[in-house]
Amino acid sequence: MTFLPFLISGLGIGAVYALSGVGLVVLFRATGVLNFAFGAIGALGAHVAWQLLEWRLPLVVAVVVAVAVATLVSFLYGRLLAPLLSHRDTVVRAVGTLALALVLIAVMGVVWGELPRRLQFPTDQMFLTLFGVRLTYTRILALLLAVIMVGAITALLSRTRLGLDMRALANDRDLSAILGVRIRQTETAAWVITGVFAGLAGLLLGDLVRLQGTFLTFLVIPAIAAAILGQLRSLWMTAIGGLSIGIAEAVLTPIAAISPYRAAAPFVIALIAVTILGSTAQAALKDR
Amino acid sequence: MRHHLAGLAAGLALFLISVGSANAAASCGVDGSDAASGEPIVIGAITGKTGPDDFSNSTKAAKAYFDCLNAKGGIHGRPVKYLVEDDQWNPEIAAQLAAKLVNDEKAVLMVGNSSFVECGANAEFYKKSGIIAIAGVGVPRECFFAGSYATTNAGPRVSMLGAMGYALDQLKAKSAVCIGPNIPNVGTWSCDGVMLLAKEKGLAAETILMDPGTADSTSTILQAAASKPDVIILGLPKGVTIPLLTAAEEQGLNQTIKFLSAASAYDLSVPGTIGPSWDGNFFVNMEFNDLEATTPDNQNWLAVMDEYGQSSDPRDTFAQAGYLAARIAEKALMSLDPKDITRESVSAAIRQVKGFSSDIFCAPWYFGDDQARHNANSTTRMAVSEGGKWKVISGCSPSPDPELADIRAFEKSAGLAP
Amino acid sequence: MVNSMTVSPPAAGLARALRGQLLAIPVTVAIFSGAVALLANSFWLSAATSAVALSLSVAGLAILYGQLGLVSLCQFALVGVGGWVTLRVGHAFHPPFEVSLLAGGFVASAVGLIFGLPALRLRGLYLALVTLMLAGAFQIVISAWGFPDGGSGFLGRADGAGRAMLARPAVAGEAVPYFLYVSIIAALGLMVAQWHKLAKPGRAWALIRKGETVAISAGVPVLIYKAWAFALSGFLAGIGGALLAGNVGQLDGRAFTAFESLNLFALTVVGGAYNWYGALIAGLLLRAIPALLTDLGIDGYVTIGIFGVALFHALATAPSGIAGQVAGLLKRLRARIGKDGAA
Repeated sequence: MTFLPFLISGLGIGAVYALSGVGLVVLFRATGVLNFAFGAIGALGAHVAWQLLEWRLPLVVAVVVAVAVATLVSFLYGRLLAPLLSHRDTVVRAVGTLALALVLIAVMGVVWGELPRRLQFPTDQMFLTLFGVRLTYTRILALLLAVIMVGAITALLSRTRLGLDMRALANDRDLSAILGVRIRQTETAAWVITGVFAGLAGLLLGDLVRLQGTFLTFLVIPAIAAAILGQLRSLWMTAIGGLSIGIAEAVLTPIAAISPYRAAAPFVIALIAVTILGSTAQAALKDR
Repeated sequence: MRHHLAGLAAGLALFLISVGSANAAASCGVDGSDAASGEPIVIGAITGKTGPDDFSNSTKAAKAYFDCLNAKGGIHGRPVKYLVEDDQWNPEIAAQLAAKLVNDEKAVLMVGNSSFVECGANAEFYKKSGIIAIAGVGVPRECFFAGSYATTNAGPRVSMLGAMGYALDQLKAKSAVCIGPNIPNVGTWSCDGVMLLAKEKGLAAETILMDPGTADSTSTILQAAASKPDVIILGLPKGVTIPLLTAAEEQGLNQTIKFLSAASAYDLSVPGTIGPSWDGNFFVNMEFNDLEATTPDNQNWLAVMDEYGQSSDPRDTFAQAGYLAARIAEKALMSLDPKDITRESVSAAIRQVKGFSSDIFCAPWYFGDDQARHNANSTTRMAVSEGGKWKVISGCSPSPDPELADIRAFEKSAGLAP
Repeated sequence: MVNSMTVSPPAAGLARALRGQLLAIPVTVAIFSGAVALLANSFWLSAATSAVALSLSVAGLAILYGQLGLVSLCQFALVGVGGWVTLRVGHAFHPPFEVSLLAGGFVASAVGLIFGLPALRLRGLYLALVTLMLAGAFQIVISAWGFPDGGSGFLGRADGAGRAMLARPAVAGEAVPYFLYVSIIAALGLMVAQWHKLAKPGRAWALIRKGETVAISAGVPVLIYKAWAFALSGFLAGIGGALLAGNVGQLDGRAFTAFESLNLFALTVVGGAYNWYGALIAGLLLRAIPALLTDLGIDGYVTIGIFGVALFHALATAPSGIAGQVAGLLKRLRARIGKDGAA
């Protein structure tokens, strides 16, 4: 059984994991919050886009409104709700975003229900063929978006004042406040950036995976595997990690004995990575 | 002059309304003119509404029928109190709700159940409590192998094999791949049937069990296409079928392989969702009659939904299933003395149900007294996706599932063979 | 940070305080179960049984989080492990229910220990995410395997005519006796957990939490106490899973997703990880509140939304959880009545 076609399909699912993983690490680097609602915010945007396309509005409008909605939700949470938990430990702040995810699932369930829908973009019809497998432009777009995001955020964090403030904030909130970092503004900026990214990612995931609220929300769990491979700090490693686990999951398909369990590949790989890298990770993470 | 015209218009309007409603008038029970007002008969139902999919259309349709029944005289004057509970796809909750309906509410019958998890959780409990469930929709094997549980639908395995029968007879398939969910007692059960039938008929077949929660449909479809089969038969819920078909279309496989599915994908939204590139290439098995059929009982179902259901209730096959379950329950209840409607008398009456015909069914439904398992609906049709709608392309034919041998033997011996 | 380490009085007084605090558990549980057993209908009885069974798994989480500050996001997976072993042993050998129960507890404890191995070097969010990965892997495996229901082979799946239900304990076959049985076991479990907190392990854990270097220099064998915490937490989760299995007689493979473990942790925080009754409160939140909302006929998705809002509110306003607020209330009451207490 040749594995080559599955390498290519693995790039497809890898793009999904890379995109979500990078989104998670971006916000974590900037605020110290692991955003469990990343997928939910994106899914909400995707549903809004679907609805606008159903109403025969132009694609551009749908995309812009979808990203705007995602950004708005993210901004509101970051501005109004996240500060209420800012003095708690990291895990509790992450559980706060879980609460947001649940509320968004409820909204999507009530408004749109769980009927499976299809979000289609014109880039679905255009494709490259490699080893007999087609890679649609939408998938390539997802890969590109992940790469661009990584590059842009890395530049932001290392070259700009805002980026410096963000890193300080994520490292030690109280100390940063004393040093004069404008906490509220910096945090809000981080949440807005993550909102935009979630909106774009949500649109692509809604197209590439399936447009179903709960499913897209819980895609964040395998995405965490990618984030772990990046040790929650390196955006490049997260992106490459995401691609790797996607490829691993795909190439297990032809192996009949393991195939029904291949969705566990991201988790197993993350666990192996932790066991190997465990001690070095500790230095990177300050328990707040 | 103006008065004349107004009067004429009013008269015309009234005439049209009366003609229109006369055509659409729903018929339930004895079609009496007084609402039922006696002591309510408690009937329960458990459905999986909140979760991976919404199965509640079955209970919605049954409720519409019972509302109609109550408005037109009920069961010899006694109204039906229909209690529907949502088990949220959680077997623990399904068990709690069964306890509530059976022990607390003292239901005499369960009608229109449509839950993925409740057969496994509750079938034993129903048997122990002496209550029968005439379910609308059953999916896992447990729903079709229980003494006190009978569904009006055919089940995923019977349905999938109905599709395979079509592939063998009409599409002249020589090789097939079966894709089922790796849920125990669902995917293995259905695809085992395909492998068994393939062995009998001498064609090459392969099974792929996939995790319905996977985000990667492309690899699964590539694996399926790797052996270059003539047909790929799917037995997945529509939420998983659509991404799979999308992935297949992405790879251009809809041009070279014919795709068939069990009735789980038969939903009016599917042809529009998958799009025009699937016209003539995606076949689905139907456990009931065409949703838009103009035959009397099907039209009655639509009328009942229009008059007594909500306009937002989907008119889909789950709704047909629930409507039929309600009608079967009504038939059994009507045969009883209204003063003696207890769980025992109702169960006894249900056991005697045979020869229940409706043009929504292909063949008359029966319960099958003393049978260890019930699967009366085993005759199905096929449709193909065409122009954003389904087009029915075959008449009724019995599903070639080898496992139905015991059912067919019973039908023959009891003189029920269609 | 609230911790449950009491200011240590002389030895005899300590023993008395210990006994008092421990006795509070069976008394409270008895009152609660008595009320439920008398007043509840079938539906509520079943919900209460699940709630009390799950409170044991919350107690395990509370030990890890409340005492050591370690977050485990795979506790519900350990509940599943316990349930699986109980079902497999029960169907294979038909021993008395207590044997299957203990088997479930011990295997879950062992698995909890293995899961805890990475924890020996990790902390905080990283540990939490690693345990979440374990929960994710478990989810995939258990959805494919399902739970044993009377068949043969390792998986114990019955493909034949019927699914077998696990037999309940001989003394507690019916709904009300089984609920009381579960309450008794839960009280015992909670007492064991509370004893650990009040006695030497609790003081060792408090030291470890302050700083491992401090603990080591004080002569505390850090590794052993950490491992013990994981083993105890796993044991309690396993027992909870066994009791759940006995409630319905079977478990479903799709009900043990990674999200359930996340949910369990969230509710542990909301219920209160620093007081023993936080576990009971969390159990009720997990099963009784959803049951209430279902009973009221509220749409499933709206229930999820209400839950999300309530979760955030609880996180933002009650750092020690509902139990913490209750404890604060009790303290103020006691101070007002003028008693000398542990304040």
